[in-house]
Amino acid sequence: MSKIVIGRLLRANTRGCVAGCQIHQPLPAFGSMVAIPLSNTERAFGLISNLHIDDDGLVRQLAATRDIPEEIIQDNRLNRNVPVELSVLFIGYAFHEAISHLLPPRPPLSLDEMNSCTDEEICLFTGSGRFGYLRHILSVEEIPAADLLAAHFQQADRAQRLAGNAGWIDAAMQAVIQWARDDYPTLTTLLWACATLYAPQNRPEGGQ
Amino acid sequence: MAIPIEAGESKKIEIGYVISGGLKENLHVRLTIPTQEVQEGSFIVIQSGGWKFYGIATDLQLGSNDPRFAEQDSTHFLPERLASLMRSQTLYSTMVVLPTLMLEVGPSQAEAYSAWIEKIGSGEKEEPWPMPVKTLPNHQAPAYLAAGEDIATIFGKPEQDGNFPIGNTREQEHAVCINLDKFIQRSSGIFGATGTGKSFLTRILLAGLIDRDKASVLVYDMHNEYGLDDTASDTGVNVIGLRTAFGRNKVQIVGLGAESDIRGSAPDFNLVFSTSDILPADIELLARELNLRETTSTTLDALVQSFGHSNWLQAFMDMKQGAMIEDMDGKKTPAPNSVAYWAMQSGVNTMAAEALHSKLQRLFNRKYIVQNPPSNSIGDIIEALKKGKHVVLSFGKYETDLDYLLVSNLLTRRIREAWEEMTNRFRSGKEAEPRPLVIAVEEAHKLLNREIASQTTFSTIAREMRKYYVTLLVIDQRPSQIYDEVMSQLGTRICGWLGDEDDIRAVLSGLAGREALRGMLARLQPKEEVLLLGWGVPMPILVRSRRYDGDFWKSIKKSRRQDFDRDAAIRNLSPD
Repeated sequence: MSKIVIGRLLRANTRGCVAGCQIHQPLPAFGSMVAIPLSNTERAFGLISNLHIDDDGLVRQLAATRDIPEEIIQDNRLNRNVPVELSVLFIGYAFHEAISHLLPPRPPLSLDEMNSCTDEEICLFTGSGRFGYLRHILSVEEIPAADLLAAHFQQADRAQRLAGNAGWIDAAMQAVIQWARDDYPTLTTLLWACATLYAPQNRPEGGQ
Repeated sequence: MAIPIEAGESKKIEIGYVISGGLKENLHVRLTIPTQEVQEGSFIVIQSGGWKFYGIATDLQLGSNDPRFAEQDSTHFLPERLASLMRSQTLYSTMVVLPTLMLEVGPSQAEAYSAWIEKIGSGEKEEPWPMPVKTLPNHQAPAYLAAGEDIATIFGKPEQDGNFPIGNTREQEHAVCINLDKFIQRSSGIFGATGTGKSFLTRILLAGLIDRDKASVLVYDMHNEYGLDDTASDTGVNVIGLRTAFGRNKVQIVGLGAESDIRGSAPDFNLVFSTSDILPADIELLARELNLRETTSTTLDALVQSFGHSNWLQAFMDMKQGAMIEDMDGKKTPAPNSVAYWAMQSGVNTMAAEALHSKLQRLFNRKYIVQNPPSNSIGDIIEALKKGKHVVLSFGKYETDLDYLLVSNLLTRRIREAWEEMTNRFRSGKEAEPRPLVIAVEEAHKLLNREIASQTTFSTIAREMRKYYVTLLVIDQRPSQIYDEVMSQLGTRICGWLGDEDDIRAVLSGLAGREALRGMLARLQPKEEVLLLGWGVPMPILVRSRRYDGDFWKSIKKSRRQDFDRDAAIRNLSPD
C-alpha cells in the first residue's frame, strides 16, 4: 500500500468521508483514488469527489489587501488554521488482497490516515469483478458524476495501460453504457465527459 | 461477426437469443450479429430445455433503447470508437421467427442424457420425432442458423430413399429435399409470376419423379417445352428435354394430330381422337371459348337422344348448314341433311341448333378429331403409363386455349376412368396395385378457374386426392384464378416470386402462419429462390432452387449409377 499520506480523517459515514490536509505538496486531484486503512486487514477505497478550501478571518482581510507580500501568502497557505477538506466517495474495500465493490463494512475513524493509491492498487481494484463499483459513482446526486467518472477513468486508464491492459477503458465504457442506456440525457452527458479520453493525444497507441 | 460454434458434425452459427413472443405472435430474437448476416427466410433453430425449435425468419426490425439514439448520428459529438460502443448497446435488430416444429433432443448433462437415451432404447420412451410446435423456448434461449444436421433431421438426407434435393438453404447451402413418396400422395402446385423459372422447376421435379421411378408422369406440354431440347429465351442456352435425358424407352413424346411434328421432329406416336370419344360435357366445357349460348345443353341433349352417345358428334358434323330443297310447289324447305331439318324433327329451336353448328366448326375442322382414327392412341397412352413409361403430350401447332381445354380434359377423363377401374379391381383383390400417376398441367387456371373447374376432370382428381392413384401437378402464374376448393386440396406448394396480392393470398390459403409468410413471397429473388410450403413439406422453407444444367444431370446420372446393383446384374447373367 502507498505510504503517501495526503490527509487525516475528520468525519465519515457509510458512503464516504472527509479528510483534512495541509498544503505541503500539490493537492491530490479531483477523482483520484485513495485508500484508508480500516484495520490491519481491511482498507477502504474511494475517489476524491470534492476539494473544499474554506476561508478564515485573516484570509478574508488579506484578500482585500493590496500588495500582499509573497511570504505572507505562502504562510497563510501552508500554515492554515482550517485544513483543506477532501471529500471522498467510497467505492469498495479490500480484505487482505481480496477486492470487493460493496461499500466498506464500517467507516474509518477520526484521524485515520488517507493515502493516495499506487498504480498497482488502482489496477488491482479496477480490474477486479465487473465494474460493480461504478454504480456508486453513477448513482450519486450531489456531485458532478460525469466529471468524477471521467477523472477517475483518466487515472485508471493510464495505470491499466502502463500494466499492458489497453482494452480496459473500452470495457469500462461498455459497463457505463449498459448502466445508462435507458436514460438518453444521462448517457450522453457521461459520454461527452469521457470523450476526451479517446482524443488522439490521450491514445498514444494510435487507436481511438 | 457471427461466431461459429462447433457442434457435432457441423458448425452452428449463433445469431442471437429469444427475448419475447408467443405461439400466436411468433418469437422475437435479439440479434447478436450484424443484421446483414441474416436474411428473411433463414431457417432458424432455437435450443431450450432439452428441445429444439425449428422456424423460419419472417421479419427483421430495427430497434433502439431510445429513438434519439437512432435519430442522431453520435459521431457528430463523440469520437468514433465511443460512438461505436454506444451504438452496439443502444441500437439493435430483432428477428421475428415463425416457429413450426419442435423436437426433443434430451438433457444437456451427460448423465441425464445417457439415461434418456437408454429409456428410448428400451422402449420405455417413444423415439422423438419433429412435431408441430406446442410450447415455447425460454427467455434468452440461444438461436442459431440451421446446420446441416438440422436440415437433414427435418427434410431428410438426399441419399435416403424417396428424397430428392430440390435446392439449398441460402446461407450455408445445405441440401433441402422433397420426399417424393409424400409429394405424389396429393396434388401439388408450382407457382410464380411469368419469368420466375416455373418451367425449369417443373423440369427438375419431373426429372426427379422419372429418375426415382415413383410414379408415371403425363405432361400436357402446351408450349412444346418439356419433351425435346429447347433454348432458354433469356440466355439462349440449350435446355435438355426429358426425352433426350432419359431416352425413348422411358419418355415418349406424343404429338397431337395425325401428321404433327414438334419443331421439325417426329413424335413417337400421334394422338388422334375419334368423334365417338367426345361427350356433350366436353363441349359444354368450351362454352366460353366458343361463345356458346344457354341453349347449348338442350341442343346437345337432343343430339344424343337422336343419334346416341357414340355417334351424335359425327352426325352433327355431317349435317349441312342452311341446305334447302324445293318442294313440288316451289317452296323452299330445309333439306333432310340440314341442321334445320333435324332441329324441326327433334323439337329443338332451329336458330339455336344452327348457331351451335356454326360455332362448332372450329372443332369440326380440327384434324385430330376424325371419325375413324388409325389406332387407339388414347389406349396406347394409357398402356404406356401403366407400364411405367412417361408421356409428354406436345400440342405442336395446336396452341389455342380451345385445343388445350378440350384435349387435356378429354384425355384426363379417359385416363382417370382407366385408373379408377384398376383401383376397383385392386381393391377387390383381382389385380396388382395401380402405378401412381402424376399429371402435369400448365396454365392450370384455364382448366381450374371458378367458372369451369367443377366441370373438369381435374378438379375431380384434386378433390379425390390419391383415391385412384392419380394426382395433379399444376403449374400456374395466376393461382388466384384457380378455384379455391382445388387450391385447398393441394399438398406441396412450390412458389416463386409473386407480385399480385390476390395470387399471394391464394397460394397461402389454408396454411398456418400465412400472414407471416405473405411478405416473403413478394421479396423472393426471381429465378433464384422459391418457398416450399404446404402439407407435403414438414415446414415452410426458403431455398435457392437447383439449376437445371449440366451439373444437375450429372448428379442424376450419378445417383442412377449408385442404385445399380452390380452383383445382382452378374447373378442374373450366370445360370448358377
